[in-house]
Amino acid sequence: MENFLVGLAPPLIKGILLGGLYVVIALGLSLVFGVMKLINVGHGDLVILGSYFAWAIMGWLGIDPFLSLVMGVPLFFVLGFFLQKFIINRTFRISLDAALIACFGISIVVQGLCQAIWTPFSRSLATDYRLLTFAVGPLTIPLRYLLDFIGGLAVMIALREFLRRTYLGRAISAASQNEPVAERMGINPNRVYSFAFAIAMACAAVAGVLQGLTFSFQPTSGPPFLIISFGVIILGGLGSMVGTFIGGMIFGLTQTLGAYFSGGSMLVQTIAPYLLVFVVLSVRPQGIFGR
Amino acid sequence: MKIPRLTTLASIAVLVVLALFPVIGVPLNWLNYLFIFFIYLALANMWNLLAGYTGLICLCPHAFVGLAGYTLAIGTWVGVPFQVGLIAGAAVAALFALMISYPAFRMKGIYFAIGTLILPEALKAWFNFWRPVGNAYQGMGAGYSVKGVAGVTLGDQYWLALAIAAASIFLVYIILRARLGLGLKAIRDNENTAASSGVNIFRLKLISFLIAAFIMGLAGAAYFIFSPRIQPTGGFTISWLLLPMMATVIGGEGSEEGPIIGAAIVTFLRFLLADYGAWSLFIQGIILVIVVVVLPRGIAGLLRQVGAYRFPQKLFQAAEGKIHKT
Amino acid sequence: MSETAVLSIDRVNKSFGGIDAVKDITFEVRAGEVLGLMGPNGAGKTTLLNLIAGVYRPDSGRILFQGRDITRYAPHKICHLGIARTFQIPQPFTSLLVRDNLMVAAKYGNKRGDTLELDEILDLVDLLKQKDTIAGDLATVSLKKLELARALASNPTLILLDEVAAGSTEAEIPRILDRTEQVRKMGKTIILVEHVMKVMVEAVDRIVVMDKGEKIAEGTPGEVMKDEKVLAAYFG
Repeated sequence: MENFLVGLAPPLIKGILLGGLYVVIALGLSLVFGVMKLINVGHGDLVILGSYFAWAIMGWLGIDPFLSLVMGVPLFFVLGFFLQKFIINRTFRISLDAALIACFGISIVVQGLCQAIWTPFSRSLATDYRLLTFAVGPLTIPLRYLLDFIGGLAVMIALREFLRRTYLGRAISAASQNEPVAERMGINPNRVYSFAFAIAMACAAVAGVLQGLTFSFQPTSGPPFLIISFGVIILGGLGSMVGTFIGGMIFGLTQTLGAYFSGGSMLVQTIAPYLLVFVVLSVRPQGIFGR
Repeated sequence: MKIPRLTTLASIAVLVVLALFPVIGVPLNWLNYLFIFFIYLALANMWNLLAGYTGLICLCPHAFVGLAGYTLAIGTWVGVPFQVGLIAGAAVAALFALMISYPAFRMKGIYFAIGTLILPEALKAWFNFWRPVGNAYQGMGAGYSVKGVAGVTLGDQYWLALAIAAASIFLVYIILRARLGLGLKAIRDNENTAASSGVNIFRLKLISFLIAAFIMGLAGAAYFIFSPRIQPTGGFTISWLLLPMMATVIGGEGSEEGPIIGAAIVTFLRFLLADYGAWSLFIQGIILVIVVVVLPRGIAGLLRQVGAYRFPQKLFQAAEGKIHKT
Repeated sequence: MSETAVLSIDRVNKSFGGIDAVKDITFEVRAGEVLGLMGPNGAGKTTLLNLIAGVYRPDSGRILFQGRDITRYAPHKICHLGIARTFQIPQPFTSLLVRDNLMVAAKYGNKRGDTLELDEILDLVDLLKQKDTIAGDLATVSLKKLELARALASNPTLILLDEVAAGSTEAEIPRILDRTEQVRKMGKTIILVEHVMKVMVEAVDRIVVMDKGEKIAEGTPGEVMKDEKVLAAYFG
């Protein structure tokens, strides 16, 4: 029994730490969903674009991926702003289906772009510290998982403070609660949408760096992250940051525990989260913590 | 004897002419081109049936295509001839659709879209590791060739694809004129009202879904007879979702002629972009985004708006009037 | 359930997230009568209609239609048995023609054999001229008429009318009353939810009054209007 528990500890810890990555990815998706009731099906691909961008900067300028965020975050922010302003806002006037198709189109554009520029082969952000581990008692934990966790916490706190304390942040919060009220307060919804999407993209840039350090990636690696982050927000419940955090942990654990109990099977690791999302979707789409 | 409508006669004439192409010595690359067109047409018609007429935006055509392709391929390794594998593949796709239908139809709107997206991703992962027959390749799950199709001529494949495309058009035609079509459109417009008016939502969605899965499976398997090698990335590539979606959006969602127009354009694009290899996906994505924003009702919608149908309609009516008089 | 009752609501309860929308409601609807359902906003009237129509399932209690327990039935099955309903805010099939809106109900909802003349129904609701108009192009007033027409097209025994008179002008009221009377003459039973007092009082045989999810009064219009509890509910 003791051995069982001791063996369980690494995947447990890794799962919780890994959850941080999924939290960062999910926060971007959740922000857009909360404000505009839109699930950007290209979100996963935009995260991967973030990974590729960091990789490219690393190769070109030799800068550490976290440092490259100095360039990456503003760039992605601007990109997101214009995507929302010129494309997605327009589709809202047409129909919800049109918005979905447009987001899918963006997903394809990003996949195609990455494929054309960086070929279909796997890459990863091979920094010096990527393969370092640290010790927790008798256990060794990969450093990058810890970075994921810290990243998740940091982005979550930053986002929460932003939404609470800045004018724009409060406008975004207001819009996600109740649009007509927000409009009467003099807030232009389309403007708010553009900023919300821009922030979501900035999160994607950060997520891209974390993701690229944790896993290797290809142009087609986007959809799995979309599915998982979608699972995180419906499991955690919309509008609840704590719920999102817990949701992230749950998915991290699903993967690490799945790998542990199946003897390291990549198949189980990949499919277990999918199964979880599918089941939750069919049983209780409003989530466990949902309001 | 009742004289059939002019449009029916015209359609049959076109069908006969197309069927004669391989026999009358049309250049082989025409057959190639049309083969691809027919496959895309069948897929587009089915995606349109789901999205344009039932209101179900399904992101899983590539699950049906890949599943049918793998069934076909693996079948040929265990002695199942490809002719049987073709039907078996479509049946497996439909069976899969049936299995996931109960949980899937509990999901509405965007939840359904993402729920269906999970399926091909899961299948892609599954077939990366599952290798029931044949030797283990290096790097596991590297795919299967489709055996025993060396003797199949391009003409045969052409006829197969033509038959499938014609079947897809015919099915949509019949459905739209039967009670089922009315029910599907009612569901698309307002599910709650439809239910309170006596429509069994689950059953109608299921019928629509099964038909689409079967035909998409047929089209997919036919493609893998033509291109007899399947791997997880190729069998479940997102292109199998992108192409019918593009064809439907460009042609005009929710119209009968839309998928035909759209499939023609998408086929043309494919051959045009073949020279741009790596960038073709990127360009297709750009086109999709532009069309859905600028021309949401597609080309058919545009034609309708400018009244382009009125002139041919009057022409047909006048001609019909003359025929029925004699 | 008594012999003349078409519908029997038996101690039905429904709550949403801790709020009791419908609390221990019991009453019967007799064949051929027009029963009014009245109460201040939030009393639970539409919830009750939704429970009867199968959109919600009661937490406890039973609903019996012509002796049959329909408590757990799905909406389409309830329509097949002979209950039709209109929506407070019209919900038409927007891309379909007016006559196809009725056709859906006629072809899918009418399981009781006799085919109806859709033109007659359209004439009854004054929509005959708009037969070939796309439903999405109709004005709200016409959409309300379409609700009734669609409900009639499934050849129901019992019709649930949810605020058919809301937003109507004074001049339109007599026509609405007339229509309701004609529907009753067709042999149908009606449950009428209405805020417009004139319609409520003149069209119905009996009234059930609800407040905060509970039944607080039942009787003829005359009896109910004098009831202290009813007055208190409306005027505090």
